[in-house]
Amino acid sequence: MADFALADLGYASLLLSLILALYAAGASIYAARRNRLEVFASARNAMFATAALTTLAVGVLEWALITHQFRIEYVALQTNRAQPLLYNVSALWGGQEGSLLFWAWLLAIFTAVVLVQNRDKNQELIPYVITGLAVSQAFFLALMTVVVDPAQTGFFILLPFMPHGAEALVGNPFRTLDFTPRDGNGLNPLLQNPGMFIHPITQYLGYVGFTIPFAFAMAALFTRRLSDVWIRTTRRWTLVSWLFLSLGLLFGMQWAYMELGWGGYWGWDPVENASLMPWLTATAYLHSVMIQEKRGMLKVWNLVLVMMTFCLSLLGTFITRSGIIQSVHAFGVSSLGPWFLAFLALTLLSFLYLLFDRIDDLREENELDSLISRESSFLLNNLILVGAAFATLWGTIFPMVSEAFTGKKVTVGAPFFNQVNGPIFFALIVLIGICPLIGWRRATAENLIRNFLRPFVVLVVTAILLVATGMRDWYGVAAFSVCAFVLATIAIEFYRGILARRRQYAENWAAATTNLVTQNRRRYGGYIVHIGVILCVIGIAGSTLFQVETQANLKPGETMQLKQYTLQYEGLQIYPTENHEVIAARMTVLENGARVGTLSPEKDFYSNPNPDMAQWTTEVAVRTTALEDLYVILAGFDNKANTATVKVIVNPLVVWLWIGFGVLLLGTLVAILPDPREARALARSRVKEAMAKA
Amino acid sequence: MSSIAAPVVEQKTSVKAGGKWKFLIGGLIILGVIAYVTITTFDSTAVYYLTLKELNAQRGSVINQPIRVNAPLDKSSIQFDDKSLTLKFNLVEGKFVQPVVYKGVVPDTMDKGESVVAEGKLGADGVFYASTILVKCPSKYESEAPGSASQ
Repeated sequence: MADFALADLGYASLLLSLILALYAAGASIYAARRNRLEVFASARNAMFATAALTTLAVGVLEWALITHQFRIEYVALQTNRAQPLLYNVSALWGGQEGSLLFWAWLLAIFTAVVLVQNRDKNQELIPYVITGLAVSQAFFLALMTVVVDPAQTGFFILLPFMPHGAEALVGNPFRTLDFTPRDGNGLNPLLQNPGMFIHPITQYLGYVGFTIPFAFAMAALFTRRLSDVWIRTTRRWTLVSWLFLSLGLLFGMQWAYMELGWGGYWGWDPVENASLMPWLTATAYLHSVMIQEKRGMLKVWNLVLVMMTFCLSLLGTFITRSGIIQSVHAFGVSSLGPWFLAFLALTLLSFLYLLFDRIDDLREENELDSLISRESSFLLNNLILVGAAFATLWGTIFPMVSEAFTGKKVTVGAPFFNQVNGPIFFALIVLIGICPLIGWRRATAENLIRNFLRPFVVLVVTAILLVATGMRDWYGVAAFSVCAFVLATIAIEFYRGILARRRQYAENWAAATTNLVTQNRRRYGGYIVHIGVILCVIGIAGSTLFQVETQANLKPGETMQLKQYTLQYEGLQIYPTENHEVIAARMTVLENGARVGTLSPEKDFYSNPNPDMAQWTTEVAVRTTALEDLYVILAGFDNKANTATVKVIVNPLVVWLWIGFGVLLLGTLVAILPDPREARALARSRVKEAMAKA
Repeated sequence: MSSIAAPVVEQKTSVKAGGKWKFLIGGLIILGVIAYVTITTFDSTAVYYLTLKELNAQRGSVINQPIRVNAPLDKSSIQFDDKSLTLKFNLVEGKFVQPVVYKGVVPDTMDKGESVVAEGKLGADGVFYASTILVKCPSKYESEAPGSASQ
């Protein structure tokens, strides 16, 4: 019976959280309008209580997952006794109901952090920020506690103690079965990968994180405090969320690369696109806010970008969770889809209403001076990033739209996304190189020539070298020489800054470099991120354009050949592990005739008390060097004849994609660390805004 | 003096206004190009998404056209030759049976598949040659499983 009480405790804390969130949403606005400080304090406390209660609910569910309380349906579906602890813990976000809880919990914790950070700051904005966050919180809590499947009950919203309520609560992670199974189904073996632990966490941190800047944007609109105070206040929230979206992409790609076994890390699958789109608009936002901060321009555009990022995050959750679009990473079909769409529509409509109502307060403080200026190159980068996001969105959701209007289903796959986004991203990379070379306001011709000459020489030399060493893939030549161009521009930026410091302060190289970066963290952190992006591009270009593969059916002792590699098949090895059976094909690898190691690609068999749940998985074996990955798949085997069919792929430069993300992480951390320059700028903006309001 | 100052101010604002148009037009051209490329590429890479019934109705006109078919899988028909990595199976919907041939690494969830989304071309011999297959598992199974493969 312990599990029953557990389930009730979990559910009750969620229901109470919902009531508190709704209270906070209303009370907070009321308090601000009537200037009732004690009501405001109670709204704040309600949000802290929500954070505590959702933490309790997460604790209860984790406890149930770890201790096998199979009476709770979610536990029975997501875990079993043989499953390693790591996957029992990560089952929290393995299924739909748990993911909703995970989302609500993260949002509640973030809200509490925002409230602590701003306990004596931004007092005009915070009540409305609370309302925004509480409404968003209430949405996710309602999905878990009161929303039902209308197909079952004829209602949309129902409490569990009403007839059929308990079973029909589609999002309730604490739904119980009327019996206690002896064992659970367990997480699908394909999800039993370290990626399962880290990818969803980072992805959700990124998705949920953007709720904070969006709530501040809405509060700024509501209170007509539309200077750059809200932007500067949420700068680090934005950067951290962006970083987590980036890491979500990284870990998702690595997971797909190792687990899907087709030799790639990105297939333009709808679920992958769903994580890319908010990243694109968020990246645009990170750049365009600089123009508002520096020149008081692009106010509407920045609001739109942060709204788009939030909506695309919701859409991403909707796409991954609803099963509405056919995906490689297919999730169970859910009846929660319409609720997500409704919330999305509500968000969009209230944003647009506020935006048009406040349009007079959003006048630009300056105008663009010249087509060739830092501002216009930022604008161009924004158009390109948003263009890429829309092209991706179009390709992802058009199948649904077209079916709704014409009844005909048309879809597109990887060729569409590659053909559209290829040139768009190429233009973007060129811009990364050009942008820092162009001055603010208006660039002069001699300044342009002076700045462009050396990087351009690097571009031409790289192109000549690539062609001279035999590269005839013109996309490759273009991509790599443009990457060299961009790296050269960034190197020159660093070199100039360091040189200036050495002259001015007589510092040595190390001190000059450190001080250059730490005294303008944002700018040089940004350049480091750009270096990371270029390394990623090098990895993507190499592995996309120069991938080669072969396959062979081998008897023990036979060999296969690909590029400079010879793989000799030694035979099958069959052995059990903790929770699965391994069948491995042992391959000796020779490079240019010299033995460099062994690779053992596997087929693993996960047995299950329920024979329908037993499953095979394919585990690839990879040998990584700085130049290329040797990627080996056991595609088929015959254990009686001891033969194996092996597919071998050489993926050039893949490791630079992962290294690039590492550099990007480093650069973002540099930009996130406290920066006295930014703190002073925020203080100035506050004073300016206060004076303008007075 | 005021009569001289006035035109100068006017001129300044008109230059700025002209600047604004320049940016608006430039931006619209870029967005236009992106939209144009998106739409034309969409048309040239679009794949018809058909049920088995629709595929049968249009059988003659879609040979060698890129198609995606979604239909229930007849599990008993699955044959896999591990030497050539050739997978053969039938999609069955009502009275329609469609043989499919796929070469490559088979998705791990194939034997659990309730239905299959196959992308490829219908050959003149009536066999569907798939370049990509995506296996859909029963929803109760909550298979948030990456179960696909492509050639």
